[in-house]
Amino acid sequence: MKLSKKISTLILSFVLILGTFSQANAKRLTAAVADWTGGEITCQVAVSMLEEELGYKVKRVVFPSGTGLWEAIAAGEIDFACESWPSYAEADTVMMKGPLVYDGKTMFNYEGDGSIELLGTTGIIGLSDYYIPRYAAESLGIKSWKDLNKHKDKFASIESGSKGRLIACPVAGWNCHDQKRLDLLGIDFQADELGTEAAAIAEAVAAYERKEPFLLYLWEPHWFFGAYDMVGVNLPAHKVCDSFTEANNWKDCGTAAWPATGWAKDYTFNYGNPETFAKAEHAKARAFFKKMKFDNADQAVMLVEVKQKNRDLKEVVKEWKDANPDKWRSWIPN
Amino acid sequence: MTAQSNVLEKPNSSKNLIKYFIVLAVFLGALWLSFQNESPSKFPKEITDGFTFTAWVNDGEDYLKKNYRWITKIIASYIKEGYYFLEDFLIDSPWLLITAILFLPCLIAGGLRLGLYSLFVVYFWGAVGMWDESMQTLALMGLSVLLCVFFGVSLGVLCSQSDRFENFMKPILDTMQVMPAFVYLFPALFFFGIGGAPAILATMIYAMPPIIRLTNSGIRQVSKETIESATSFGSSKLQLLFKIKIPLSLPSIMMGINQVIMMALALVVLACFIGAEGIGGQVWLAIRNLDVGWAMEGGLCILFMAILFDRFSMSFSKDKETIPSDVQKFYLLPQSWEKFQIARILEKPLSFAHYIIKYICEKTTNLVGYVFKYLISLFNKDTAEEIGEFISKRYYLIPSFIVFFIIVLIDAFVVNIGSFPSEWKLSIRQPIADTVKSLTVNPSFIAFTKGLRAFVYLNLLRPLDTFLTHIPWWYTMGIFTAIGYFAVGLRFAFVTILLLLFIGACGIWTQSMITLSSVLVSVTLCFAVGVPLGIIASYNQRFRDILNVILDAMQTLPYFCYLIPVLMFFGGGTVSAVLATVIYSIPPIIRLTSLGLTQVSGSYSEVSRSFGGTLIQTLNKVKFPLAIPSLVIGFNQTVIMAFAMQIVTPLIGGKGLGLEVFNGLARSDTGRGLAAGIGIVLMAIIIDRISLAWTKKQRIALGLEKN
Repeated sequence: MKLSKKISTLILSFVLILGTFSQANAKRLTAAVADWTGGEITCQVAVSMLEEELGYKVKRVVFPSGTGLWEAIAAGEIDFACESWPSYAEADTVMMKGPLVYDGKTMFNYEGDGSIELLGTTGIIGLSDYYIPRYAAESLGIKSWKDLNKHKDKFASIESGSKGRLIACPVAGWNCHDQKRLDLLGIDFQADELGTEAAAIAEAVAAYERKEPFLLYLWEPHWFFGAYDMVGVNLPAHKVCDSFTEANNWKDCGTAAWPATGWAKDYTFNYGNPETFAKAEHAKARAFFKKMKFDNADQAVMLVEVKQKNRDLKEVVKEWKDANPDKWRSWIPN
Repeated sequence: MTAQSNVLEKPNSSKNLIKYFIVLAVFLGALWLSFQNESPSKFPKEITDGFTFTAWVNDGEDYLKKNYRWITKIIASYIKEGYYFLEDFLIDSPWLLITAILFLPCLIAGGLRLGLYSLFVVYFWGAVGMWDESMQTLALMGLSVLLCVFFGVSLGVLCSQSDRFENFMKPILDTMQVMPAFVYLFPALFFFGIGGAPAILATMIYAMPPIIRLTNSGIRQVSKETIESATSFGSSKLQLLFKIKIPLSLPSIMMGINQVIMMALALVVLACFIGAEGIGGQVWLAIRNLDVGWAMEGGLCILFMAILFDRFSMSFSKDKETIPSDVQKFYLLPQSWEKFQIARILEKPLSFAHYIIKYICEKTTNLVGYVFKYLISLFNKDTAEEIGEFISKRYYLIPSFIVFFIIVLIDAFVVNIGSFPSEWKLSIRQPIADTVKSLTVNPSFIAFTKGLRAFVYLNLLRPLDTFLTHIPWWYTMGIFTAIGYFAVGLRFAFVTILLLLFIGACGIWTQSMITLSSVLVSVTLCFAVGVPLGIIASYNQRFRDILNVILDAMQTLPYFCYLIPVLMFFGGGTVSAVLATVIYSIPPIIRLTSLGLTQVSGSYSEVSRSFGGTLIQTLNKVKFPLAIPSLVIGFNQTVIMAFAMQIVTPLIGGKGLGLEVFNGLARSDTGRGLAAGIGIVLMAIIIDRISLAWTKKQRIALGLEKN
């Protein structure tokens, strides 16, 4: 009966462990970790404020961004997510209600069902485009996207064959519709989704070091622009297409509007579950999100620290927080 | 013997020729047809438009969410509560307490060696800065193992008591075991949302079959004599079950628990894809950032954890070796070193320490027992006697609790122990990253990886991709059905048609052909590398031993860890996805090649040698034909694993159905994700059935199995 003795030992120890101790519950929120470095930094800034200044315990969940995340937040499984870029989010017009306010001005008015709450703008303003290195633009004489087809063979890779290759928007959930855009605009390129931002950047860095021409989807603020000289190809200005939704089976508007255009200037925002933030115990967190105003320059500095100098993200954010108390003191509600 | 000697002779050659000719003709036809098509073959629009599986699933999901979500929410919230409780306890407790909780049971169950190993593992978690994540994984795993054992043993006992219930459960268990792990994640996501709760539920479904089976078979194998003698002493049915049958089948149940633990760990790590916390999430983040060192740290945390729990649970089902009383017992060094004087001297203090600890434990336990006995005897003498006896028998339990208690007291009143000391941190992230970097800038290495990438892509992947996607769908379907008919039978041919029609009608035909082509390329490469390794292993004992250790380690790692080395050296892309698949799915083919060859080696190869066959001839003409069944099983497992790997390869640039699943998840298009997930499973099932049927035929032909 030695065995049963041991088993009873095990079971008893479990029961005792579970029974004896219980910790007082801290205020708890669940946040999604963004899948691009800029978003991660913004989120870490928000989380560090919540944890260190407001006494929260924030659980961070790795979840791909996209409509799936929006629904998870609406269902209350995740409480909030950071730095959403309006022109990438397809669920925002359906699920959010209320104005998007930046610097006191209303930028856009959402008229969705309100299952997601717009917590406030982050202060980060984003810009996205397709870029080529300056050396390629100068030697090939490419001034805009219209010149790309002439040189497509120079942009080709093993995988793309006779077509040129676009190092495309890496994550499907970002809803970039790169291939669709290329096809609509008649650019004979193939959009290559590499799965992660890091993979796409690694390809671009390798190509730059070899001084090869390449076409890269990228956004600002990004550390890549500080290290490498890139020029945009000036995609047509952003224009909304009403029929390009899942309900309409993605019927595009031809070359007249999205996705045949570039991206809009993005006033990014944080968003969360309305029920969670309506609770009295989370009133301070809500007030904090209303006041938060991070900015591009600060993020860009931190991006260089994290990505180029390979430092720990939490450390970098902590350093910034210690060095610039005047910047964030005003975000903290009393 | 006649059947076997047939193989050694030339088979009926004219019949074979016709067979080869037909295969060639079919292949040429496919080639010709694939060149006719400018664009990939598409399923007729009428069918794909009419069969809106995706929309049905999404509507169904909406309906369920609206009407039944509250039920699943309640279940999920209970589990979540339990999980948060456990997680808070593990993370907020002083780290020394957690160390003691892991160390003492390991020491008691597995001896000093396992105890020291457990200390190392705990140190490693803290040192690389993944303490919190490890605790989360531990909490998820612990809770799912507890639930699995509870429900699994109950179901197993039910199975053993009723033949009808066993017959009812058998096909369910079979299906549960054929399905790749990730398949469970989707329904869990569907019903229970994201996070820890669905992860635990999915793990329960995934990890329960072995314990149900082993409990059932363990109870059924209790010998008739024992049962008869128990009944003749007048024990009732329940008494018989709880006092005789279950205790006697405990070793078998413990083995089941071991398997549950290993499977639970694998799935809990994978569950980061549905938002569960823990080390899995860290590895995923590392892969996202292309940080090899970080990913490696996470992978090692998981590997060490897996080995720890494997050894720990094994130590219960293993019999202790008995050592003659005149020989000194060794605690740390291998017992076989007993003959060395120096080893005996080194072990002396350990024996002494063991003696002292045992003495203290016994005394304290007796003391505690006595105190309790005395206190309770004030109320009731009989219970006091029983409880006193109960306590004083548990020499290890009581001292362990005293140790836990002391740690808690010290933490509360003397010094705050808190979390793992940050001075002890030891990051191996940077050295690994630097090593990899120095290798990846080496020009000849770049030339090698680039060459391999280009070779695999240009010569294998692209031609096969274009070939498979460009053959008209009806032709491919016809070929599969024909193979199904000849290999298995008419009924299976019909099933094949239906399954393939489903795939086509869901509108994922092209993607499934891309998946098929990357699986085929991966399996081909597995064979090209694995079979030679297996041959060497079958001839060389030492090589085989080394290989076995490596393969064991490979099979305990959760599967997206295999993305790491590939990502290190080859970057992202479709070829990298194929290479990761190869690394993951190669173990069975190596193992089974070597197994198959060593099994036949004995008498047959001697006969062949004595007839003057050279080494190559023996291998080629005698051993291989006889090892074919084993090879086919290896092929079968490799294919299944390669299909399973398709779900994670999109992380590093894989295409096909896996990418569809990912997109479905990211776009909240459950129907699309589910259809693609089902597509992978269906193709795996078709190939699995065909190759199994073929193995059976081969075995019958070789006389290894009766018809």
